[in-house]
Amino acid sequence: MTAVTLRRITGLTLIAFVALAGIFAPWLSAFDPNASGYDILYPASAEHPFGTDDLGRDVFTRVLYGARISLVIGPAAALIVALIGIPIGLVAGYAHGRADQMIVQVIDLFIAIPAFVLALIVMAMIGASLPNLVFVLGLVMWPEMARLVRGQVKSVRERLYIEAADAIGCSRTRILARHIWPNIMHTIAAQLAITVSTAIFTAASLGFLGLGLPPPAADWGGMVQSGFDYLSLNPWLSIAPGCAVAMTVMGFYLLGRTID
Amino acid sequence: MDSVDRRDFLLGLGAGGLVLAAGPAAAQATPAQGGTFSIGLQDSLDTLDPTFSIQFAERRILHLVYNTLVSIGTDFSVKPELAASWEIENDGLRYVFHLQDGVSFHDGTPFDAEAVKFNIEHRLDESVGSPQRSRLDPVIDSVEVIDPLTVAINLKTAYPGLLGDFADRAGFMISPAAVAKFGEDFGSNPVGTGAFTLTEWVRGTSVTLDRNPDYWEDGAPYLDRIVFQTIPNTIIGLQRLRVGELDYVDNLSPDDLRQIEGNDEIKTEAFPVGLWYSLQWQVDKAPFDDLKLRQAVAHALDRDRINQIMMNGQANVANSPTPPGLWWSTDAPYPYPYDPEKARALLAEAGLEGGALTLTTPSTPIYRRLNQLVAEQLGEVGLSVTLEPVESSQWYSRVVSKAVNFTPMSWSQRADPDGLFYILFSSKGHANTTGYNNPEVDALLDEARNLLSPEERKPLYTEAAELIVHDLPYVPLFFSASFAAMSQAVDGVILTPDSIPRFRYVSKSA
Repeated sequence: MTAVTLRRITGLTLIAFVALAGIFAPWLSAFDPNASGYDILYPASAEHPFGTDDLGRDVFTRVLYGARISLVIGPAAALIVALIGIPIGLVAGYAHGRADQMIVQVIDLFIAIPAFVLALIVMAMIGASLPNLVFVLGLVMWPEMARLVRGQVKSVRERLYIEAADAIGCSRTRILARHIWPNIMHTIAAQLAITVSTAIFTAASLGFLGLGLPPPAADWGGMVQSGFDYLSLNPWLSIAPGCAVAMTVMGFYLLGRTID
Repeated sequence: MDSVDRRDFLLGLGAGGLVLAAGPAAAQATPAQGGTFSIGLQDSLDTLDPTFSIQFAERRILHLVYNTLVSIGTDFSVKPELAASWEIENDGLRYVFHLQDGVSFHDGTPFDAEAVKFNIEHRLDESVGSPQRSRLDPVIDSVEVIDPLTVAINLKTAYPGLLGDFADRAGFMISPAAVAKFGEDFGSNPVGTGAFTLTEWVRGTSVTLDRNPDYWEDGAPYLDRIVFQTIPNTIIGLQRLRVGELDYVDNLSPDDLRQIEGNDEIKTEAFPVGLWYSLQWQVDKAPFDDLKLRQAVAHALDRDRINQIMMNGQANVANSPTPPGLWWSTDAPYPYPYDPEKARALLAEAGLEGGALTLTTPSTPIYRRLNQLVAEQLGEVGLSVTLEPVESSQWYSRVVSKAVNFTPMSWSQRADPDGLFYILFSSKGHANTTGYNNPEVDALLDEARNLLSPEERKPLYTEAAELIVHDLPYVPLFFSASFAAMSQAVDGVILTPDSIPRFRYVSKSA
């Protein structure tokens, strides 16, 4: 088994594990993730595998339901990145001269601002909600995708067969769709998987700083943060959601690393 | 101390001067001498000039660097401090203070009647811009120096809250010479008469105070040094207490206490009165201008459950702004017991079934916790509540500027009922952020602040409290259970009902 196959299998296994946990959360746990209870900050036990939090909620249940949130945020943000980044990259890469330069300058402008800082500022301005979070993640991550697509298109379009296609009178659209796209598709797919992983990680970081989804959402980053106050009573409060973030991010990252 | 003692004491005070025995120093055996006492400090500090202080955490340091004219005891009774005794004359319009002899400021200048006159006039001076001016100016007419150790304050109107104010920020005596010397920088170079002097202040990190060898009270202080060290949260504070880097941490909840259970080297003590936690809104603005909605929210909240989950059942559920055990406490029944059916019915009457509300959520853990419970309970009667996170440092200023309509709140108790009632519930109160304006309440509070005897005042506050609770500018929730944890070696910390611990008489055995 090659290293690439191993990575692919590990990545897919991790993603499948997290996805199944999220999908089957109501069957895997009898508790409501947001219902408070009187068992405050209990340590891990058979009834509560990761104990309870400061409102008496079952941490295991909240980690399961947190998978649903992360698996919506990551792919949704990647979709926005794809919708903005890919067309812009294609246009920039295929166009010559002025148009290309202008787009490159816009991309550079965005890349010059640290993405996380930009996300922090915009989140603080527009307020926390699921659509806003996805929008902000898309906003800060599309330039990376656009730059990659542009570079790929540029390298492919210099090849001889493209010149030949041009010479026999193929339209630009046809050249892009039939001759360039199939050659760069795999790289873009890989980048998308990595985008999902970055989006989930960034969302968790924002949650950790209190700018993720507002409570009571079972937001992994927010859970890690609020667990800090009670680490010595129940360390799982922070460790369990922290591991869940690591697994999910690692899953998509490994998948992304296998395609190029 | 129960309320009867308290009332008798105040009556005696009204009749003439009173001198009480010296402070707790006299009561102790022989406190250990020397040592450094390290305190975990969670809040930020802006200034150590009491004239401009508004941060809660500053007050615990001010009590070390300065003395107040009078002080309050653990039962909110007024005790002598820089004023050894006083008489109230002319139906409460004139206070004559007899000052302690032989007290000098850290810079060597004497503390005398002229210094008191300077301090009060400094706060009244419009060009100085002290936040205390709005409170003192309507009551204080003039300050008269009778002899070097006697000063009289003439009032425009009787004002029983005056001694309470002089036990707090308005009563800290600062050195007139140092104010002239440092000017604007006095806040970083504080000079008082207190038991400790400021040695070093590293902003955001630590404040180091050293013993004042010339302190005027017998024996005190016992420590060589007090260091306030900034801690980001209680868990770090408790860890550092456990390993001996800190001697004292407070603002602890019952859950925090569980983390140090069974540790023989640490002892804990409860604050006598906790903070008053409540929900507030703007009663002159939609949707909360509808009394039925406010009543529905009040009926929908199961405050016993909130107490059980957040405070391990150790808090007192609040039926008014006043906790039990103070002379103005009442035992009037709460008109809005937990009753989800009634809440739903009220919402239906108001045409607000299935309404949506936004509850502002400061990043402080206790508010975040409280708000999730409130949202859950309101959800059960069909109100959907979105929690809107706000950074703690911006939160209160947004409440003041009325950018926030629905928020949790907490207040510490004051030594006189006028302290909280007037600022929160009078339409003229400077901390009235709810838009509450009930002429009946205004009239009662105005009348009560001009009467001297607690017997006459109590029925007025009782009536005002009933109106306020009925009108619901605030939904009273609970008086928190709050604890301090300290090393067994520490003795002499005084936990006062205003939630500010006093460290002046602390000693530490080796």
